[in-house]
Amino acid sequence: MAQLQHAIPIRWAGGPLEIAVRGRTESLNPQARQALERFHDPASLGVLEGSPIDCLVVSWAGGLPEDAAQQKSMAPLLEAAGKRNLAVVGWVAGAADPNAAIAAAKSAGLAGLAIQGFKGQSDFPVILCCERAAVAWDSTAPALAVMDNVWPGVSRQSFGADAGPTSTPWLDSNGWYVQLARARSETPLWLIFDPPGNGNVTPAQSYSTAICDSAAPGARWVISLDANLRSGLAEGNSTARETLKQIGAAAGFYRNHEEWRTFHSLGVVGVISDFTGENFEMSGEILNLMARRNLQFRVIWKSQAMSMPFTGLKALVYADTAAPAAGLRRRLMSFVEQGGLLVAGPKWGPEGKPANPDFPTQFEVRAFGKGRLAVARQELSDAYQVATDTQLLTSHANDLVKVYNGASSGCSLFTGSPDGKRALLQILSYANAGRLSSGLRTVWVRQKYRSCRLWSIGAEGPTPLEASPSEEYFGFEYRIPQATPASFALEFEV
Amino acid sequence: MRVQINRREFMAAAGAGLGLLQPARTRAAVPTAPVAIARCRSYGPEYVAATEKMFDQLGGLGRLVKGKTVTIKINLSGNEDVRQDYLPAGRSIWTNPHTVGGVIHLLDKAGARRIRVVEGAWAWPASLEEFMYKAGWDPKLLTGAAPRVELVNTNMPYKGQKPYTRFPVPNGGHLFPAYDLSTAYAESDVLVSMAKMKEHLTAGVTLSIKNCFGASPTTIYGDKVPVDEPAPVPYGGRNTIGHMGSRQPPKSSLPEKDPKSPRQAGYRIPRFIADLAAANPIHLALVEAVETITGAELPRPNGTKFVSPGIIMAGTNCVTTDAAALAVMGFDPMADRGAPPYETCDSTVRLAEELGVGTRDLKQIEVIGVPIKEAVFNFRENGFPRTTLRGGRRGA
Repeated sequence: MAQLQHAIPIRWAGGPLEIAVRGRTESLNPQARQALERFHDPASLGVLEGSPIDCLVVSWAGGLPEDAAQQKSMAPLLEAAGKRNLAVVGWVAGAADPNAAIAAAKSAGLAGLAIQGFKGQSDFPVILCCERAAVAWDSTAPALAVMDNVWPGVSRQSFGADAGPTSTPWLDSNGWYVQLARARSETPLWLIFDPPGNGNVTPAQSYSTAICDSAAPGARWVISLDANLRSGLAEGNSTARETLKQIGAAAGFYRNHEEWRTFHSLGVVGVISDFTGENFEMSGEILNLMARRNLQFRVIWKSQAMSMPFTGLKALVYADTAAPAAGLRRRLMSFVEQGGLLVAGPKWGPEGKPANPDFPTQFEVRAFGKGRLAVARQELSDAYQVATDTQLLTSHANDLVKVYNGASSGCSLFTGSPDGKRALLQILSYANAGRLSSGLRTVWVRQKYRSCRLWSIGAEGPTPLEASPSEEYFGFEYRIPQATPASFALEFEV
Repeated sequence: MRVQINRREFMAAAGAGLGLLQPARTRAAVPTAPVAIARCRSYGPEYVAATEKMFDQLGGLGRLVKGKTVTIKINLSGNEDVRQDYLPAGRSIWTNPHTVGGVIHLLDKAGARRIRVVEGAWAWPASLEEFMYKAGWDPKLLTGAAPRVELVNTNMPYKGQKPYTRFPVPNGGHLFPAYDLSTAYAESDVLVSMAKMKEHLTAGVTLSIKNCFGASPTTIYGDKVPVDEPAPVPYGGRNTIGHMGSRQPPKSSLPEKDPKSPRQAGYRIPRFIADLAAANPIHLALVEAVETITGAELPRPNGTKFVSPGIIMAGTNCVTTDAAALAVMGFDPMADRGAPPYETCDSTVRLAEELGVGTRDLKQIEVIGVPIKEAVFNFRENGFPRTTLRGGRRGA
């Protein structure tokens, strides 16, 4: 169980069941089929020599005639995996009988099963796999796995007419959801998603982005290789091996910094929601687009909102359709009275006096106590506008972080350790280039820290950085060395 | 509210009024005015003292601004997160905030009644103050430099009953017969253009005239604006209408004079900004090159280089000031298309001269302070080879 909680999993696609399933959903050319056969061979594990990847997720049961052959033929691979200290988790999907799969897994010595839609009880480690909106947060499973994820990167729509309203590229990211999940549960979160298909070659950098987008906020991507990479590895291709090496380096980097998963957001804007039903759609998308705007946010589950301190928050967003309970409403109004900003839907109430801002907004802004209420004029329907208006109403004067010459397709994540002694700024780039061509980067932070260490993703050791006072502003600046990859982290000692 | 004291009072007297009434290319004389040049190596007290001395050399700031509403057009070109290497934008590509604060202080000292700092930053939908915060400027450097200082984003509709005011171009204009600008400009008695001395990929150079390209609101002259009316907020830069001419502004504004004229940025932008200089006169041109970049107006890896010329300039005529600045940069202000810095564009100072704004002929321009030959900092000799400079996003 403990092994699974810290594992770096990889989808190890091979065997008759895998061939049967993929043969039904995609066109399997002879090369791809051969790769699936070879990955079922114990010798295939040789490509993991020296890699931190330590958990194979193999097809175990799909409710198909090939299930039995798959499980029977798995024995040599399982034995070889055991000799390499690789945990093996069986993947159970489709119409498979979970209880039969569990019994077979126990017998075969698997470390656990990942079962889609499993709702039963088992003394065997079962990772619950489901869609985002259906996660059983209070489960005692060794890990939770969500399946409706996106391949992180610059959205393909960005190259057409569907770029963002300010012509910046849309990004596909699962990061906001990981933050949402981490705020609700400490159970390890696995993200299931595959590289884009259609026979495309996925660049090594794109794999690294997938790992960073998942791991930076605290989840694990179940590494999934595209057909070309599987074939390349099966054939001993050196480029393919190098790509797998880079994937392992990025994944291993985050496991070496496992404590970062315990860090919490230092954001100045809190988003309160029950994140269920239609509220999940709106509030989730607000989180997604706040992340895109580099607006550091904190996820506040409504069930925790009465007990969670609002320390450091400048604004709260309450976007749920239904009004909050009386106690929570009083607490939110108290936050406003003391100087905070509350952004809410149109049914909030009549409190406050008009205090319109100096830009067009979908909100009616009112002064109340020392703070402001921003009440939507109509039902909230445009999450982008909510994120944009919230950022402007909160004001960039409250920014915690700025990046100069950063990637336009970048995001940042600013977190702090539970004891308050460390802060962590993670800069993620979603472009496929590992390095930027836009010039030397500078990171501005509001607070003065005792020390700063730069971590390049995948690097074994840090580089100390010196701060200098901002020349045109308050705060402090760090000069990022030119050779630093597009994605990196700054670890501060408070 | 717009007091007609501008050109007659502050530009040199010779032929100014007559020039404005004559057809552009037949005019015999255009106004001139002295230009002050000073050395300055820093942005603090040294800049304030040197600038005050230049104002005195030009006849005193008080006679220009006392009791007046003064508008300072600063230059915040491009995106807010772009830097030349590690350098803050104010040291390389933007007006420096400390110099703006210094000039505000001097304007207040000279008796200005109200001071407004304006800019139409790229596609910015909120206040100028908020843009500054996002960019990493402390707006209090400006608002705290004197009482009655306001910041106005002139890309946004001006608050009040009249968001925009039409500014006809004397002599009919080169590109548009008139420009609709923020009413903040119409409420101004004195316009100060605070420019960073730079080369410009589209217009050759960016000095006090080019700086005012950002006066054109992107709600009217910006990308993705509606067909009939100004946009409520900016949606993009000034590419489609200003640079490319691939469409006209909303029908609420006047269209181009000649839609069949070249759809080439090197033709259009110099005319656009020369028109603006005539329609919305600059009464005080301040060009700063304490530090700047060579090669282009915005940073480009291996294309632009940080330099420290240590020169500042001031003049009450934007053409004479820019002409002297061209000479300081190592260019011939009489040069035109094909010659540096106008390899791919027309000369803005020539076009403004044709509109009667001022002369670019150094023989007609009195230079006070540091002589041009001693102030010269050759931008081309201190830059990368020109072949590396094409392409990229344009700024002001």
